[in-house]
Amino acid sequence: MSRSIWRHGLGALAASGVLLGSAACSGGSGGDSDPDATAGACEPAKDGEKVTLTFTSWVPGMQETVDLWNSQNPDIQVDYKEVVGGNDGTYQSYSNQIKAGKTPDIGMVEFDNLPTFRLQDGLANVGSCEPVVEAKDEYVDWAISQTSFGEQDAVYGIPMDIGPMALYYRKDLFDKAGIPVPATWDEYYEAAKKIKAEGARIGDFPTDQPAWFTAMAWQNGASWFSNDGDTWQVSLTDDKTQQVADYWQKLIDEDLVNTTPGLSDVQWQALNTGEEWSIIGAAWTTKLLESSAPDTAGKWAVAPMPQWEAGGNAAGNWGGSTAVVFKDSEHPYEAAQFATWAFGDMEALTLNNKNGGQYPATVEGQESLPALTEGLPFYGDQEVWGVFAEASAGVDPSFQWGPTMTQTYSDLADGIGRAVNGDGTLSDALQTAQEKTVESMKAQSLTVAE
Amino acid sequence: MTTTSPLAATAETTADPPTRLSRRDATPRRGRRHHLAVAGFLAPFLTVFAAFYLVPIGYAIYQSFLKVERDGTFGPARQVFAGLDQYATVVRSNDFWDSFVNVSQFFVLSIPLQLGFALVFALVLDSPFLRGASFFRLAFFAPYAVPGVIAALMWGFMYSPQLSPFPAVAERLDLLGPTWVMFAMVNVVNWVYTGYNMLILYSALQAVPAEVIEAATMDGAGQLRIAWSIKIPHILPALVLTGIFSIIGTLQLFNEPQVFRGISSAVSSKFSPNMVVYATSNVPDYHLAAAFSVVLALLTCVLSFLFLKLAQRRAFQ
Repeated sequence: MSRSIWRHGLGALAASGVLLGSAACSGGSGGDSDPDATAGACEPAKDGEKVTLTFTSWVPGMQETVDLWNSQNPDIQVDYKEVVGGNDGTYQSYSNQIKAGKTPDIGMVEFDNLPTFRLQDGLANVGSCEPVVEAKDEYVDWAISQTSFGEQDAVYGIPMDIGPMALYYRKDLFDKAGIPVPATWDEYYEAAKKIKAEGARIGDFPTDQPAWFTAMAWQNGASWFSNDGDTWQVSLTDDKTQQVADYWQKLIDEDLVNTTPGLSDVQWQALNTGEEWSIIGAAWTTKLLESSAPDTAGKWAVAPMPQWEAGGNAAGNWGGSTAVVFKDSEHPYEAAQFATWAFGDMEALTLNNKNGGQYPATVEGQESLPALTEGLPFYGDQEVWGVFAEASAGVDPSFQWGPTMTQTYSDLADGIGRAVNGDGTLSDALQTAQEKTVESMKAQSLTVAE
Repeated sequence: MTTTSPLAATAETTADPPTRLSRRDATPRRGRRHHLAVAGFLAPFLTVFAAFYLVPIGYAIYQSFLKVERDGTFGPARQVFAGLDQYATVVRSNDFWDSFVNVSQFFVLSIPLQLGFALVFALVLDSPFLRGASFFRLAFFAPYAVPGVIAALMWGFMYSPQLSPFPAVAERLDLLGPTWVMFAMVNVVNWVYTGYNMLILYSALQAVPAEVIEAATMDGAGQLRIAWSIKIPHILPALVLTGIFSIIGTLQLFNEPQVFRGISSAVSSKFSPNMVVYATSNVPDYHLAAAFSVVLALLTCVLSFLFLKLAQRRAFQ
């Protein structure tokens, strides 16, 4: 007994020594690696060599997809580990792992955080890997174009799923109150007033979900970041964003929406009890709403996002992820092979949708995945996925993310938190986030145009 | 300071001075074998202490003197020596100093109440008239056994109007709004740590010599008088200790505000100094985060030391 404790103790001590040692070594050498080392060097492993890949993600039930791959590919085995959501700690782990040279082969990174890891020089460019070259045309244009950072033929992440947005609403309550489903933001405002008169709220302005607010600005054609290869432009306060900020400020000031943290127990409870009548959500919200507001089954329906211009079809995109191959992976070819299969093969996509509620990033998946043509009982048997296919086509492909998105989001969320509590406005929040983003980018030694 | 167990510290301050002197006399004569034994017993501690304490601190200090340089938009980063650049940013950082204002307010609202209750509970437990002292001792201490994050979640549910089992109260008080959220968090921290501090004070009370109390009783002093004039002066060193723990604990506040961010829009991601460090390392800007950490550690040391000096002048004269 006591002997085994002793041995464990020694083991732990040795392990920690190794960790510290390796962290110290790689800390200094991280910047010296040859930038061209990975480009064009995407070769499969030698014949007969068995490859084991490590893969982490937070998609519920991804293990089942991996199991299917493993049973079909005895020579390329994938060792899967489920981790917590990116902003809940996994991104920080990835950053630390990149610094320590201990990344998995494949990881999950949302589109908005892709530049952050590119900036850390942590991602392999798999654009020249044969499996990616073959699969590239199958993805929705704007999704694959977000992974290149303007570099010719570069692919720094293989699209996993996307989050085109729509309006989920309580059809029964809207019908009963005789309120038409809002097709424009003006109509949404009018509906909000009527619903408030009924003693409820049309929905929530999620105070801790800056990505949601970003998607609102994206829908209106905002352009927050751009770069010409040397210099970054940052414009969180452009006219389009300002219009969105002023609109929501009005709804907040008139107490027409709740201002609680989004996707939280608080919001689910409000939706489950009919205190809130709608939620502007992404494709992946479909399954989440189903499990989080179980008492309202069958009473929901999905409509396109309200428009800034009547008759438009613009949609925002909230979330969506890529499977990245980390730079330290010894088998980028096999990693790309697995990732293009896991997020492109119809059988895999079906599992991802069934278990994880993922909405595919491939055109074929969106159009012909059997699971996506069925009516969903929770939504009164409506074929909701069709709404998202249309939304996906209406997402502005030119939107770009900044290289310090974690910081931009956190400052934006802080400002939004202050604004909904009466300290400043959403417009102020954007101004502060703008300034801090520029500051933070300069600290990363990036050139930013003033 | 933090590595000394509270019980050992109080025991030491109440130990007999003569014993200590004679022990000190004995050491030099023992010779080499003795030194080897000392080294042998200390080695396990020192190894772990160095690996998990000194080395990381050294690494953080080293990191804080570096900065990142790169060419072009996504050029690979180089770490170069930056002198005091990061510290200049720390000095200019409003977020960082605002967070100190936040925890100072937190301290004022939380600690007097917390230590006051801890002292009262300890004295009550120590009084000869209380029945079931061991039950109450455990009951008061039990919240400390609940991990901080769990405690914050639990209270958070009770505060939230939508989730609370007492919706009427939660709705009326708006405990998660900008005015009251600080008190709401103070309450969580007090709930967890009052029992802990009580236990430190209670164990110090056990060391008050029975003869002194007996003498006071003979002189006709009541329980209140004994508590005020004998017990409290006797456990002042322990009170100072809980004060220092409280300073350190408040400056390192993290769990409660971090959890409350998930249920209240009134808690910013940079509420406490530790959250500023966390947010900065998330960017990831390791060098600035390291500089924040070093400054936070230094300030914690300085404040604890000042408090100790101040308290010693009054308590040990």
